[in-house]
Amino acid sequence: MSPDSERRCEDPNAAQQRFLSLFLRSEREIFRYVAVLVPNVADAEDIVQQTALALWEKFNAYDPAQPFTPWACRFALNKARQWIERRQRWQALLDKGLAEELAQRREELKPEFERRLARLDGCLGKLPGEQRELIEGYYYRRAGIEALAGESGRTVEATYKMLQRIRHTLQSCVETAARQEEATA
Amino acid sequence: MKIDFPSREFDEAVAAVCHGLGSSEQMRALNELLRANAAARDEYLFRAELHSRLASEPDLFARENESKVTPENILPLRSARRPRRVTWALALAACIALLATGWWVAQVSLSSGRKGATSKAVAMLDRVVDAEWNQRDEAPRLGAPLEPGWLRLKSGLVQIVFYSGARVVLEGPAELQLISPDEAVCLSGRLVAEVPPQAKGFRVRTPLMNVTDLGTVFGVEVKQRQTELHVFKGSVEFQSPAGAAKQSLLEGRGAIAGGANAPRLIPANPAGFASLFDLQNKSSEAEVLRHEQWRAASGRLDEDPSLLVHFDFEQTDLTDWRLPNTSKRKDAAPDATIVGCQWTEGRWPDKRALEFRGVSDRVRLSVPGEYESLTLAAWVRVQGLDRQFNSLFMSDGFEAGTLHWLIRKDGVLGLTVINSGPGDVQIVASLSVLALDEFGVWAHLAVVLDGDGKRVTHYVNGVLVGEKTLKINRLFRIGATELGNWNASGAPDNDPSLIRNFSGAMDEFCLFSRALSAEEIHALFSVGKPQPDPLIQTRN
Repeated sequence: MSPDSERRCEDPNAAQQRFLSLFLRSEREIFRYVAVLVPNVADAEDIVQQTALALWEKFNAYDPAQPFTPWACRFALNKARQWIERRQRWQALLDKGLAEELAQRREELKPEFERRLARLDGCLGKLPGEQRELIEGYYYRRAGIEALAGESGRTVEATYKMLQRIRHTLQSCVETAARQEEATA
Repeated sequence: MKIDFPSREFDEAVAAVCHGLGSSEQMRALNELLRANAAARDEYLFRAELHSRLASEPDLFARENESKVTPENILPLRSARRPRRVTWALALAACIALLATGWWVAQVSLSSGRKGATSKAVAMLDRVVDAEWNQRDEAPRLGAPLEPGWLRLKSGLVQIVFYSGARVVLEGPAELQLISPDEAVCLSGRLVAEVPPQAKGFRVRTPLMNVTDLGTVFGVEVKQRQTELHVFKGSVEFQSPAGAAKQSLLEGRGAIAGGANAPRLIPANPAGFASLFDLQNKSSEAEVLRHEQWRAASGRLDEDPSLLVHFDFEQTDLTDWRLPNTSKRKDAAPDATIVGCQWTEGRWPDKRALEFRGVSDRVRLSVPGEYESLTLAAWVRVQGLDRQFNSLFMSDGFEAGTLHWLIRKDGVLGLTVINSGPGDVQIVASLSVLALDEFGVWAHLAVVLDGDGKRVTHYVNGVLVGEKTLKINRLFRIGATELGNWNASGAPDNDPSLIRNFSGAMDEFCLFSRALSAEEIHALFSVGKPQPDPLIQTRN
């Protein structure tokens, strides 16, 4: 029996487990891959969800000798394209080949990004309590901006601006740290 | 609109895109810029990366509270967090795929994409008999809230309770669109609507007539070119959509609309809807059957030599405070003691369950021995996650080698494995699996501590929801322990995180002295699941 036909006879439950464990390991990377094109978290999550369905449907065709994440990202790109096609605004952002260009350029920049983001943990730790709470509320608890505004007594606009500023602070922080490391290396 | 780089407009546009709030104009201008300017493009990529990293790396936020007294506090607490969505889709995908290959598989009782408290649901799926769905995406599950949208039933019977109080029994094949708590559109199929006084005004629209209820029971059958309306009780108002005058119809009367002519009046024909009225009987028969099947499987399970504890909660004397351990193993743990708690209905109407409500409600037991591996499994109906840590099964205190199995406030399942004491533990958390929508629905939870394979695996309804490498190398034990509560035993008593009573009901609990496989966990779920699947029909 060839390995291929063997796999087809596999207990579906076992295949499901195998798929789940592969997918769970790659899920964050797939999410980030999608978020380059559609950075809005809820939308990116929707696309990842659709990707998961497509991946499972085609799981028979997956060759375990190949790494899972790149295989999955090809599906994610397709799903993102389909999603974007139905949304004019996003089409306006990503058309004329920009989607593909962004995805490709990100691959090139990945080692550099990883180097900078290795400092993110430390930079988050340096945020003042109030800022830390807001960023945690938005990205971790996944509270909406309106809810966060309600919790803190700020306006929605001010909350939105503050999130933007905190991201800017974090970005400066990781970039400075990475530069210092470079200088001392 | 044109965006320069660097500029404030660029910053604004990138932030807007990250929050999904960019205007068409902004996004078009950003497209122009990013294609023309490589530096702007790289900057955009890094900002998007930082943003997506923050959104996808919970570990970044997980290191707070490390200094607190109890080790579970190391776990991040995400009180209002949205349920994770991806895994449910997977579980569902699995079901869809397996349906296509004709495999019988249990439906996964996890909602997809619903957002806890902000649910837009207008109704719930209340009963199901032999239902087969035609849904392409998400087949509803029993007890699930239903949001506005289409229900496509291939065959079988389902009962939908609208939040207005109206109950609709639908017989497949049928297509029903839920609009609001008091409105639905039926494109094909047969239904009977029972509308209590508080839901008066409930509307069913069909291609050929609109029916507005005036406090009744009525039936509607929508065929290709003809719609029939039958009033069994009370009265209704109906109208052809073309704008004809409203007509009322009293009990015992009916009307047929079709073609160009005005609707024709007929006597109501209850016999034509008999199968729908029969739903109650059919579904209770199905429940009795499920209960019997589970009881038979439960008897076989008791013979398993690795079963240390099995509570089936089936005792007849409800004044007895002992909870018998039904495992046949010779050196199995003794019976447990019920403290507080209320007896209530379990997975089936004639199955008993123990309800935990108060802070003192608990079941105390003691399990001797040391084990390399252990498996815990329980059927629970979560009523609420009131505490930071809601105990399912927790050994007293923080004794070396013992376990705490719990549900965190944010719906994450956790297993704390204690190595040498309170400061030396490993915590294995699942994905967030219990959202508001899961409350009130029976779910099968299991965790496998595999000392040999060095893994800890969480399952919900037979599906893997979390897995980590076990880093503690030792024999494990249970000792004095509690279901549904925790005896902090010696820890400082003023910390609110030490109150860990479970809020909900339990109607089966198993403890095995070995690591069960994924297939075995799935089998436990399959034999015990409350209903034949709404998603996929069982093969009888």
